[in-house]
Amino acid sequence: MNNWEYAESIESEKIVKIEKKYGHFINGEFVSPNSKKYLDTISPSSEEVLSSISIGNEKDVDFAVNAAKEGLKQWSKTSPSERSKYLFKLARLIQERSREFAVLESLDGGKPIKESRDFDLPQVAQNFFYYAGWADKIDLAWGSGISKPYGVVGQIIPWNFPLLMLSWKVAPALATGNTVVLKPAETTPLTALLFAELCDEVGLPKGVFNLITGDGTTGSELVNHKDIKKIAFTGSTSVGKYIQKSLAGRDVGLTLELGGKAANIVYNDAALDEAVEGVVNGIFFNQGHVCCAGSRLLVQEDIHDVFINKLEKRMQTLRVGNPLDKNTDIGAINSKDQLDKITDLVNEGVSDGGELFQIECELPKNGFWFKPSLFTGVQANYKIATEEIFGPVLTTLTFRTPDEAVEIANNTEYGLSAGIWTEKGSKILWTADRLDAGVIWANTFNKFDPASPFGGYKESGFGREGGRHGLLSYLKASS
Amino acid sequence: MNTNLSMNNIVDWTTTSDLVGNVKVDQVGVLDRVSSLATRSIKRESKLDALEKIVSMCDLTTLEGEDTEGKIIQMSSKAISPDPSDDNVPSAAAVCVYPALVSTAKKIVKDSNVKVASVSSYFPSGQAPIESKISDTQFAIDEGADEIDIVINRKAFFEGDYKKVYEEIKALKDVCGEIHLKTILEIGELKTYENIKKASVIALCAGSDFIKTSTGKISNGSSREACLIMARTVREFESYGYGIRGIKVAGGIRDAKDAIRYLVIINEELGGSWLSADYFRFGASSLLDDVLKQIKKLKTNAYQSSYYFPRG
Amino acid sequence: MTEVKKTYKHYVDGKFVRSESGKVYAIDLKKEKYEIPLTSKKDLRDAVTSSKAGFAKWNSLTMYNKSQILYRLSEMIEGNKESYISLLQQHGLTKNDSKNDVEDAVNTIIWYAGIVDKWEQLTGNLNPVAGDYFNISHQEPIGVTFSLSSDDISLNSLVKSFLPAMSVGCSVISFTNQNAVLALKLSEDINNSDFPSGSLNILTGNFENIVEDVGAHVEIRLAAIYSNISNDLLETLDVKGSDSVKRIVNLPSDEGLGSIIPFVETKTVWHPKGQ
Repeated sequence: MNNWEYAESIESEKIVKIEKKYGHFINGEFVSPNSKKYLDTISPSSEEVLSSISIGNEKDVDFAVNAAKEGLKQWSKTSPSERSKYLFKLARLIQERSREFAVLESLDGGKPIKESRDFDLPQVAQNFFYYAGWADKIDLAWGSGISKPYGVVGQIIPWNFPLLMLSWKVAPALATGNTVVLKPAETTPLTALLFAELCDEVGLPKGVFNLITGDGTTGSELVNHKDIKKIAFTGSTSVGKYIQKSLAGRDVGLTLELGGKAANIVYNDAALDEAVEGVVNGIFFNQGHVCCAGSRLLVQEDIHDVFINKLEKRMQTLRVGNPLDKNTDIGAINSKDQLDKITDLVNEGVSDGGELFQIECELPKNGFWFKPSLFTGVQANYKIATEEIFGPVLTTLTFRTPDEAVEIANNTEYGLSAGIWTEKGSKILWTADRLDAGVIWANTFNKFDPASPFGGYKESGFGREGGRHGLLSYLKASS
Repeated sequence: MNTNLSMNNIVDWTTTSDLVGNVKVDQVGVLDRVSSLATRSIKRESKLDALEKIVSMCDLTTLEGEDTEGKIIQMSSKAISPDPSDDNVPSAAAVCVYPALVSTAKKIVKDSNVKVASVSSYFPSGQAPIESKISDTQFAIDEGADEIDIVINRKAFFEGDYKKVYEEIKALKDVCGEIHLKTILEIGELKTYENIKKASVIALCAGSDFIKTSTGKISNGSSREACLIMARTVREFESYGYGIRGIKVAGGIRDAKDAIRYLVIINEELGGSWLSADYFRFGASSLLDDVLKQIKKLKTNAYQSSYYFPRG
Repeated sequence: MTEVKKTYKHYVDGKFVRSESGKVYAIDLKKEKYEIPLTSKKDLRDAVTSSKAGFAKWNSLTMYNKSQILYRLSEMIEGNKESYISLLQQHGLTKNDSKNDVEDAVNTIIWYAGIVDKWEQLTGNLNPVAGDYFNISHQEPIGVTFSLSSDDISLNSLVKSFLPAMSVGCSVISFTNQNAVLALKLSEDINNSDFPSGSLNILTGNFENIVEDVGAHVEIRLAAIYSNISNDLLETLDVKGSDSVKRIVNLPSDEGLGSIIPFVETKTVWHPKGQ
């Protein structure tokens, strides 16, 4: 009777213009693929085909790498302060057209518009702004001994934060004087293609930024190209290992940002309401398609019931649905493949004996959807407790003491991120010191900033993106 | 979980003291949540629904030295029928006045469902002995007040005498009996979120039916962050089995957009069952006119001027 | 009087041990032929086990303490300077080159001893994030590392192959082939410098024999190759290492800040700032 429903509030799609077909962006222009092959990119929230994109083959990749080699000649003659200005201009253009990018990102990838609008796009622009300022200060970052670019850099990015990952890769690479061949993910190429148009618009010298679309085979061609001097990859640990193997014995730089299974540790002296928010944000942000997602909730045993009760109530208020609805909290799962993978793992969690809570909500008929899910009663040996699910599924384990929390948290091959919730300062520092993770959020989670380095320990990869440390990924020691 | 609860929703001091000692709030987390909720986009029928709810939740208020019987009569009439041109616009929840003017207001609203609320307890400072606060409150009740809005003893609070804060509220709740007691925390003076939460806990434990943000007499009146913290405290009380309590936000809420954001906080943190005048109120003077304008605008698609609405 | 000849042994877990295989290889210098223990796969595994425990011990010492232990090593070498010079001369270096090399080694050790409690001030920093957060990036040692030293006959090269890792708190399995006599001599001074057992292990032999195991052993988190090895060997190491995303650093810089950066992980910690 008092229920108050929010009416649909849909962000208009009219702002974006999507071509029927896209070529690669090589040497400053869009070109048809040598392969003559295309693949459809669909909207995961409606399954409607949005466009066709080129599949890059060996020749296409070769063409792009050669363009980047040519581009390097021009780019290395461009003064650092000029390079800086190009990046500043890109940042400004992105800000100006951010609504367009945001809608396109949500359409192509399925993420809620409030995230693409309020998180992805502001971060993308800020990232270009941040690295723009570094371009003419490289000597100051790590000393003149570590200040030389690699040359032609191959970059392969994932589908969870398409444009943001592009900015994490492209901005520092260009600021340090490298040229780029970028391959976006097969399911989310559209914002990268729009970005290519901006490069043209700011007059970036030809060949400095090249974009080649396609599937895994295209990425593989890029990794194996003989003139690539460095590969930067973000994606799954299995593909990361494959790339590392492919580069064996070659003098090619490599940075990897891979998977995770982060522990989010809630001590019994935490500010529980804020911890609930942090845990929710930690796992349900971007449908859980986040490598650093807080997918393992480690809750101190004496507050387990109270905490889970709060958490379930909070989860029930999450709004699942149309990514373009401004009130949507959880959008579509990025692809059918990913949905199947999540479904399989969750089914296995149930048959292993985990207790599954899913929120009550209606899911749209078309598209790929998964209800926000919480497992309790999970044992450490269940697959859902060890494997990266990469979806809106949280697994709960309990601990008794700080030592035990750290032990469970580190009991994984991953080491990307972790969370700590307690109001006791010394316990935060004690715990943070002992967690094997590259990013630790204390009394917060899933916060990002261009000035803050991001990257993993152990099998979550090596190298950092963001901040002063992010420059190291694109600089060689000049010996 | 009802073991520590006596009559009138009062929680014993030992338990209260434990709860207060356990208060933990992270300021940045609260700010994050509030700014995230502020992005809710409320349009069309849900907006109209919200605006009409807001009217029904308004405590139309005047608390000035210059208040006269004439002013109170005018405001009380407006509370009964805020927009005479539109029958669908509900009455306000109450009028809120000083004790000396309760009987005047009561004469006007008596046959309607509009309640008369009176401030008491040496509002707004509360700097008076408890005996005076009791007689102030007793007077308002004798004059016919349906609801009493008191202030907490901030002097005692900042001196660390939480027990005194608790005992005073409890004493005034005793005076009130079945009469609705709203306790003003004056969040602009408490400043920190932990203080706001502590004061919320004390006020609710001492038997307040409502906790209220501000007297409206200082510049930092209400805030959405305080509302969030108070809502979470109310939610905790319900989960402990300490009964369902309400929240009143007052002080500086001047437009419909802001009011809707408060409503979103209550809706998402406490749920739809709190969205009635029984559990949520706005202290309002200028807010009501903006809400009425917005309602008219939604229905006629034309922006309104305040001269279309009677003065309050 | 019959000359008593020293038996050269590996230095593992603070003890001088033979290869469990009993195998040796020869380093034939003009004056003397040395029998050097040849590392087996099992020897490597034992060294890793020791190194794992050694890492915990070494890393838990304060930076001040680590710094003093490294400095102590330079003092020990200085005290035995003449015997190192003589050993280097046996390897064919001139007296002058030998003396310079030992002095360089001492200076290198002192440089690293001095940076132990400073490097983190050079590699870490606060990050000015846009928001009410305290955000700091600091560095931690990667853990158990394997280091293949250069085959240049040089005490200085030898120490440069483990000092960068040691100075940030990693434990090191230092492996050498041609520098074996020097390395095993050095291990005596290491043994007298208060290093916790297992923090620095010295093995000798043929890298080919163990390259697959170095790559595949998950507990070795980083392999640093200071020697020019064949592409085939490097490929094998990379391929095996990729299964556990091992950090493999080929020909790292051996001086300055650049020499220690490969051995640290950057940890970034966020915390809100509020009342």
